[in-house]
Amino acid sequence: MTVGHIASVSDRAGSRTGSDGARATVRPLTSMTTRRHRAFYLFASPWIIGFLLLTIVPMAYALWLSFTTFDGISPNWRYVGLGNYRELFADSQTWDALRRTGLFAVTSVPLSIAAGLGLAVLVNRPLKARGLFRTLLYLPAVVPPVGAGLAFKALFDQNSGAANGVLTLFGFDALGWLNDPYARYVLLMTVLWSAGNIMIISLAGLQDVPRELHEAAHLDGASAWRTFRSITVPLLSPVLLFQTVTGVIASVQTVMPLLLSPDGTTQGVTAIAQSNYMYMMHVFADYFALGRYGYASALLWVLFVLILIVTGLIFRFTSGVVFYNVDPEAKK
Amino acid sequence: MRPHAGAPPSRRRFLALAAGGAVAGSAALNGCAMQVSTGVSGPGETVTLMVKPDDISPELIKQAQNDIGVKIVTVRYDITKLIGMMTNGSPPDLVRGVGAVDAPYFAARDVMEELDPYFAASSVLKADDLDPVNDLWRYDGRTQGKGPRYGMAKDFSQDSMYWYNTALFDKAGVDLPPETEPVTYEQWLESAKRLTQRRNGQTTVFGGSYNGVLTPNLLASLTVSAGGSLFSDDFSRVDFTTPEARKALGWYVEYCRARVGPSVIQPDPNTWDGPTYQANRMAMSNSGYWLGGLINGDEKLAPLSRLAPAPVFEGGARISPCQAGTGLWMPRKARNKDAAWRVFEWFFGEAPAEARASSGWGIPTLKSLRHLMPSQKSYQQRVLEVQEAELQYFSVIAFTPYATADSLYALFNQIAPAAMKGDMTVDTLAGRLNSAMNKQLERGKEQVG
Repeated sequence: MTVGHIASVSDRAGSRTGSDGARATVRPLTSMTTRRHRAFYLFASPWIIGFLLLTIVPMAYALWLSFTTFDGISPNWRYVGLGNYRELFADSQTWDALRRTGLFAVTSVPLSIAAGLGLAVLVNRPLKARGLFRTLLYLPAVVPPVGAGLAFKALFDQNSGAANGVLTLFGFDALGWLNDPYARYVLLMTVLWSAGNIMIISLAGLQDVPRELHEAAHLDGASAWRTFRSITVPLLSPVLLFQTVTGVIASVQTVMPLLLSPDGTTQGVTAIAQSNYMYMMHVFADYFALGRYGYASALLWVLFVLILIVTGLIFRFTSGVVFYNVDPEAKK
Repeated sequence: MRPHAGAPPSRRRFLALAAGGAVAGSAALNGCAMQVSTGVSGPGETVTLMVKPDDISPELIKQAQNDIGVKIVTVRYDITKLIGMMTNGSPPDLVRGVGAVDAPYFAARDVMEELDPYFAASSVLKADDLDPVNDLWRYDGRTQGKGPRYGMAKDFSQDSMYWYNTALFDKAGVDLPPETEPVTYEQWLESAKRLTQRRNGQTTVFGGSYNGVLTPNLLASLTVSAGGSLFSDDFSRVDFTTPEARKALGWYVEYCRARVGPSVIQPDPNTWDGPTYQANRMAMSNSGYWLGGLINGDEKLAPLSRLAPAPVFEGGARISPCQAGTGLWMPRKARNKDAAWRVFEWFFGEAPAEARASSGWGIPTLKSLRHLMPSQKSYQQRVLEVQEAELQYFSVIAFTPYATADSLYALFNQIAPAAMKGDMTVDTLAGRLNSAMNKQLERGKEQVG
C-alpha cells in the first residue's frame, strides 16, 4: 500500500467521524493511519530539517548577501540591490570563466562517460581475475580529491615530476605541465583518472540488460557493435542520463584546478593557469582572496540558476531518447 | 479549520513546523558555533588561541598548564573561520597575525583590543624592552608604526636579506657577495643568472629566490628601497607608475622572466625555499635570519651558508625592513582577556620566548633575549655579526589598512604572469595593477568609513 493510498483512506475515514455509529469502527483505522503518517514524518524529518538548515537557510543567507557589499568584517557594508548582479554581468572575467567552464563540461563529461562505460564493458566480460580488475579500476575514484590533486601536482611538476622524467629519459625537453597550454590536459587526466565511479554505475546497468536480447541479436546476425549500439546503449540510457546530469553539475562546480595550482593558498587561486581558471575559481577568489562576500554570493546564485536551466534543458532534449524499462500498465 | 486531535499533520503544517524548527535550530547552531572559549575566571582558566600548528606545540600547551595554570585550546588559523567566530560574537582570545599587513587592516576595523594598558601594567613585557619591530603592531588610525599597540611579534627577521650557499658559488665560479656591504639588486640578479643551472628544460639549480614574504609588501619594500612609496599619503591608492615603483616592479618582473628562481610562473613544489636550499638546489634564498633555524640543524649545510645584507637599488636608500613580524593579537570581543594576557606574557616573555630565541628561528622581539641567539659555532658567530650590523637599517614600512595583503597578492597573481612571460610590457602591467588594486582599496576605504 502506498503512502498516497493510506492518505486517501485516512481522508475518507476522517469524513465519516461525524457519525457516532461509524466512530467505533473507524477509530482503529484512523489510529493506524495516524501512526503511519507519524512514522513517515518521523523518518523524513531529519532530512527535511537538515535540508532546511543546511541548504535553504544558507542559500537564503547567500541571496541576502548578494544584495550587499558585506566583506565579513568591515563595519560599513551596505545594501546595493542588484548592483552585484549588474557588475558580474559586465565583468569580462565572469564570462571568460563561464566559457572555460562550459568548454570543460562539454569535453570532460562525454570523455569520462565514454571512458567509464568502456571500462564497464571490459570488466563485464568473463575475464580471469575480473574482480581484481574491477577493484583496481575503481580504486582511484576512492582517493579523496585533495590526495589526487597533490599526486598529480607531484607527477607533473616541471623540475621534479615523473612525467618530465620520462620525457627527458627519451631525450625530449621537459614541459611545464601545470602551466598553459598543458594545464587543461592535466585537468582532463584527473577527470579520466577517476572514471571508476562511472564504471561501477555503468556496470550495474550493464548487468541489468537481459541476456536473451543479446542472444536474439546474435542469432539474427547482428555485429557486436550493432548490438551495443541498438540494445545496450538504449537500455543504459537512463544510467547515461543520470551520469550526464551529475557529471555536468560536478564539472561546473569543480575545484580541482585549485588543487593543481602551484600555490594552493587562498591568494594563490588567481595564479592558476588561465585555461583552468573556471567559474568556481572566480567565485573562490572573490570570496576568500578578495573578501567580496556579496559579489561572490551573487556569482553563486547565478551559477545555481544556470545549473537549473542546463539540467532542465538536458531533460527536455533527452526525453525522446531515454528508454525507461517500466511496465506501461503500472501508471494506470 | 483546526484539525481534530489525533489527526495526522497536514503536509503544509508539517513543512511549517519543520521550517520553524530549522529557524530555531539555525539560531541554536549560531549560538553554539565555535563557542570554544569558556570565559571562566580563576584557576583552571581556558584560553582559545587561533594559530597555525607550528606556532605552538602540544608540549608547550601542556607547559602552559604547568607554568601559568591556564588551559590552552587551539583552533587552526583560518581567516574565514575567524570572521565567522567574530560574526558570532565568540572570537578566539588570541589570534595569530602578520603584523606587517594584518595590524592596520584589523585595527582600522576596530576589532582589535588596544594593549597599551596591559603593557603598562606588565612586569614581564616592558615597553623599553620591546624591539622596534613590535611597532609593526601599532596603528594610530592613519599610519602603521605609530599609536597604540595592538599585538606583538613572536620573532622577526629582516626579510630583504638573503642566504647563500658558498659551494654553489664556487662551483659556478661566481664571486661571493660581501657580508658587510650590500650588492645592488641588479648585481644580485646578474649573479643569480650565472648561478642557475638547467638541463633539458628543467632547472636543476635555482640561482636565487627573491619573493619576499608576500609580493605586495615585497613590492612596497622594493619601492621604498628605490627611494619612493608605493602607497599614497593616505594609503588609499597604489601607484606603480612612479619612477621608483616602476623600477621596483620592473626589477621583480625581470627576476621572474629570467626564471632564476621560484615565482608564480615557475613555482617551487615545496612552496618555500627551505627544502630546495637544503638540497643544494638553490644558491641564494631571500630569507632573513629565521632560515638559520633550518640551516643550523644541518651540519653539512651550515658551514657552507652565509647571510648577506639586503640589496639596494643604485642611488636608493639602504633599508632592511621586516615584512612579517608574525605574532598574536587580542580581539576586542575576546571573552577571557585577563587570562589571554597572561598567556600573551608567557608566550612572548617567558619560557617559550627564550626557547625561540635560542633556536635560531628568528630574532627575539625582546631586546633582553638577544643574548640567547645561537653563537656557539664559528659560522653562527659570523651570521650573528652580519645580522647585528644590519639592524641599524631596520625600518617599518607602513601598509594600507584598506585591503588585505592577500587580496592585493591575488590581484597581482592574476595580472602579472602575462608580463612575466613577456606578453605584456611592465608599463602596461603597472597601469593594470593600479586599476585593479585601486578598485579594491576604494571598496575597502568605503567600508572602513
